[in-house]
Amino acid sequence: MFKLALRSLIDKKLRFALTTLVVVIGVMFVVGSFTLTDSLRSTFAGLAQDIARGADLTVRVDQTFGGDFERATVPEAVAEQVAGVEGVDRVRPEVAALNVFIVDGDGEPIRPPGPPALGFSFNPGTFFVTEGRQPSAPGEFAADTVTAANNGLLIGETYEINGPLDAESFELVGLFNFGSPDSHTGLGQTMAAFELEEAQRFFGIEDGYQAVGVLVSAGADVSEVQARVEAELGSDYSVITAEVDAAEQEEDFNQVVDIFNTILLVFAFIAVFVAAFIINNTFQIIIGQRVREIGLWRAIGATPRQVSRSVITESAIVGVVSTVIGIGLGLVLALVLRAILDLIGFPLPPGPLTLRPRTVGLALLVGLGVTMISSIAPAMRARKISPVAALAHDFQLDPTSLRRRLIAGGTVLATGVVALAAGMTAGLDTTPTFVLLGIGAVLAFVGINTVSPAFARPAASALGRPVKSLFGMPGRLGGDNASRNPRRTASTAGALLIGLALMGLAAVVGESVKKTFVDIIENAVEADYFIRSSETGFGPPPGFPARVADEIEALDGIESVMRIQFAFSGLSVDGEPRDIVAADMALADDHFDGQVSSGDMAAGDPLTSLALHSDSAESLGVGVGDTVEATFPDNQTETLTVVAIFEDAAIYGNWLIDGTLWDRHFNRNDLAFASARIAGLSDAVGEAEQAALQERSRAAVEGVLDRYPTVMVENQAEFRQTQESQLTALIRVIQVLIGLSFVIALIGIINTLSLSVFERVHEIGLLRSVGMTRQQLRRSIYWEALIVAVFGGLLGVTVGTVFGVATTLALPESFVQTVAVPWLDLVVFVVISAVAGLLAAILPAIRAGRMNILDAIAHE
Amino acid sequence: MTASPTQALATAARAVAASKLYGSGDTEVRALDAIDVAFEQGRFTAIMGPSGSGKSTLMHCMAGLDSVTSGQVLIGDTDLTTLSEKDLTLLRRDNVGFVFQAYNLVPTLTAIENITLPMDLAGSVGDEAWVDEVVDATGLTDRVKHRPNELSGGQQQRVAVARALAGKPQIIFADEPTGNVDSNTAGEILGFMRSAVDQMGQTIVMVTHDPVAASYADRVVFLVDGKIVDELEDPTPQGIRDHMTQLGA
Repeated sequence: MFKLALRSLIDKKLRFALTTLVVVIGVMFVVGSFTLTDSLRSTFAGLAQDIARGADLTVRVDQTFGGDFERATVPEAVAEQVAGVEGVDRVRPEVAALNVFIVDGDGEPIRPPGPPALGFSFNPGTFFVTEGRQPSAPGEFAADTVTAANNGLLIGETYEINGPLDAESFELVGLFNFGSPDSHTGLGQTMAAFELEEAQRFFGIEDGYQAVGVLVSAGADVSEVQARVEAELGSDYSVITAEVDAAEQEEDFNQVVDIFNTILLVFAFIAVFVAAFIINNTFQIIIGQRVREIGLWRAIGATPRQVSRSVITESAIVGVVSTVIGIGLGLVLALVLRAILDLIGFPLPPGPLTLRPRTVGLALLVGLGVTMISSIAPAMRARKISPVAALAHDFQLDPTSLRRRLIAGGTVLATGVVALAAGMTAGLDTTPTFVLLGIGAVLAFVGINTVSPAFARPAASALGRPVKSLFGMPGRLGGDNASRNPRRTASTAGALLIGLALMGLAAVVGESVKKTFVDIIENAVEADYFIRSSETGFGPPPGFPARVADEIEALDGIESVMRIQFAFSGLSVDGEPRDIVAADMALADDHFDGQVSSGDMAAGDPLTSLALHSDSAESLGVGVGDTVEATFPDNQTETLTVVAIFEDAAIYGNWLIDGTLWDRHFNRNDLAFASARIAGLSDAVGEAEQAALQERSRAAVEGVLDRYPTVMVENQAEFRQTQESQLTALIRVIQVLIGLSFVIALIGIINTLSLSVFERVHEIGLLRSVGMTRQQLRRSIYWEALIVAVFGGLLGVTVGTVFGVATTLALPESFVQTVAVPWLDLVVFVVISAVAGLLAAILPAIRAGRMNILDAIAHE
Repeated sequence: MTASPTQALATAARAVAASKLYGSGDTEVRALDAIDVAFEQGRFTAIMGPSGSGKSTLMHCMAGLDSVTSGQVLIGDTDLTTLSEKDLTLLRRDNVGFVFQAYNLVPTLTAIENITLPMDLAGSVGDEAWVDEVVDATGLTDRVKHRPNELSGGQQQRVAVARALAGKPQIIFADEPTGNVDSNTAGEILGFMRSAVDQMGQTIVMVTHDPVAASYADRVVFLVDGKIVDELEDPTPQGIRDHMTQLGA
């Protein structure tokens, strides 16, 4: 039977190639993502070790939560104390800051395209001077070699640098490699290094250091010294070895790698899932076409078991071949992705690609497993074929009854929906939630695919009706063929359904989030100007010098300026870290209306005030006047009083504190955002006067910003516009990525159409002989493809919209409040799938047109 | 009807020194060997011959489904060897009718839609009165809205003949039209074809290996090894059998 399976594959080379290709794409994504991320991990492990090698031990304040830049500082006196411990040769105190932008010779800030712009105190342990010297006096800085080379920075020249507090001029005195003397190991971040005291002053960290590196004396035992330092400092400080430091750094890097890996795996998952549909579909059709052949096998003595085994064997061959090719192409994909990352500004240090046994195992599981599982149902059908099939000319496989289909599909669909609902509402941890959502989505899609043949015929004939009546015989035949085999139509459409449903889901959720956000901004914005980083990208914008706000505040035409700062995990309540926003609470209501439902933001002492979004207040069970014990990343705990509860999270998030309280607990001085109100602007003054006030104040604000090229100002309309277009861009990126599944669906349609053409060879010969032109024949195939694709498109968009609306309703109110359906986008998706259908029909149509008429007629 | 080959009837289709070669060198097969044959208008001709004699090839070439290697093939005054693939298709659609051995009908179309298929492909309405007449002649007037799988084999073949007739082609080619049915049904189909010639003045050329079927024709042409070796006017089954025996077939 193995020989038969092999022969059947060789006979149908194109079908074999297409089926294989579908699996190859899935395997390729799996292998590509794991190989790349494994390679990144091993590279980062090396990088982390390089970085940690600068000191034998590192002393820092113990921290239970929060980021490195939110860590409390080690006082200078403590550093001196460490230096005095027996066995300590030297200490190397360090400070670092985010958002330190060097402005190049042309006045343009050097912006790393994603990685941070970092400032450091020059650390001779990890910074290796390649040219010039290390900065040793105020007004001097050194830059990393890559940033300098890419931006034409020259030693001896003076450059403006935008720091957390202010913009200042520094002379470039040297270039350095980070991590190792021979080459700069970076990920695209820009690095400016200053003499220690200068760095403290410039970053605004004057009372201490973020970390103190310790070099032990020659011959001293590192762990003994570690124990002595620990004993000297007590439990407020942690003393870690270089190994632990490296492991922590590696962990930080790996978090980024994990996100990347997850994104790639989601695509791999979608690809594999779509592939499974197509394989199942292909095998079903093949069995249908080979009924007589299989009947003959049975007649000459093959057992049902042998028949189904030959089908499984055929699929196993497809699986093995695809896996091997997929692994090869996966390695290529990893290289391509690395090149792309390099191009968009994440230069990765060169390193060998890591193909781990685990990756090969997964590839086999995916390639072989998916193919074989997808062929089980067709194999089971094949074994039911009786020997009589060889004799009867028009033997048809018993199609699964519609009722059984509806019951089985409905059950699977319902289970999927329950799993989805549970995933969205149960409030589990991230991983179980995603697993539940994933299982739910798979079940829902399988259920829909099982049920859809039940309405494929009426739907396809409804769609075909106008085509049939308007486009002559080709339209008529195309329409008929589209509704001829509902199972085939449904599963071809199923391949499109997945991608479209996901795109539709993203569109509906995205549009709803956007609508919510735009509505809130529309209502909330009271301020006249919005000052922010001029960097346009995804995620929170980088910060800018605090001095900008001071200067704008001092302008004549400006009434008030509100400063906004932001930290992920900036506060811990009940042992759980929360993201916080800091603003001037006294001004908060005047600049953005957060829809305060009870209390008053400006009512209490700013140093003990806390304002909460109603969701957080509810989950915490507190109201205005209640107190909350809040711990900051510097390990200090404060008793805060809830002064207000608000309803709109767009600007103030869920947890809002005053800027003065922020200053007390955070070393970060740069602002995330600022807003300003124009003095004297109200409806009481005339329109002309308003315009004049706006023009004058805008000119003044822009005058201030001249010196800060990383900062920009927007008025209300511009601000709204930017927020909206950023959200739109994000949604588009997600949709384009999901749209990749179209490529696979396209192959599926080509496959099905080719098979469906093959099934009708005789009929095509007949039509051609009675006078159907090649063009008419091709046109009828295009119509068929178009109808099937539009059916898939409509189905997908409908499913996507339903899921999208459900998701939107399940998401927390602070995130999305309005359900908005982007009709135009949905129409465009259907058009896209129609185009995909037409593209897929080109090859089968040409092949059908080229068919020899006599051979076709002679075909049984 | 009695007519002799010398009688001056107009020709519906003819072949002039038509040869068809497959392969080359040692493996060359001469399927048609410089054949000269004419099919007169309004007559029913049967082509007979043993397997491999080239009878189907002759029909395919005459009908514009296949091309000759040398010589000429004419339908009316049109030389098929000069036509493009597209013009050949249009010629088949407008001037030639076909009846095949089996599966003559498009399964998704009803009987009447199958009958008018060539006209629909041409985008023309055709002669509706004529179509009605043809449908009447099939005796299937009350079943024309049915799909092929709801008709018997004989009914399906009658629909196929009706389709060939509906476009009033210059000539109809039938390739073993009764090869797949029992003898009663065969008689039903052949009778219908006979009446199409007698009452409607159609020209029909039929390939068959069944002497009984061939006896419905006005004239039988015998083919052996790609050459016409004999002819028989007003054949009877027994006369045909005798000829076949003489030819060693």
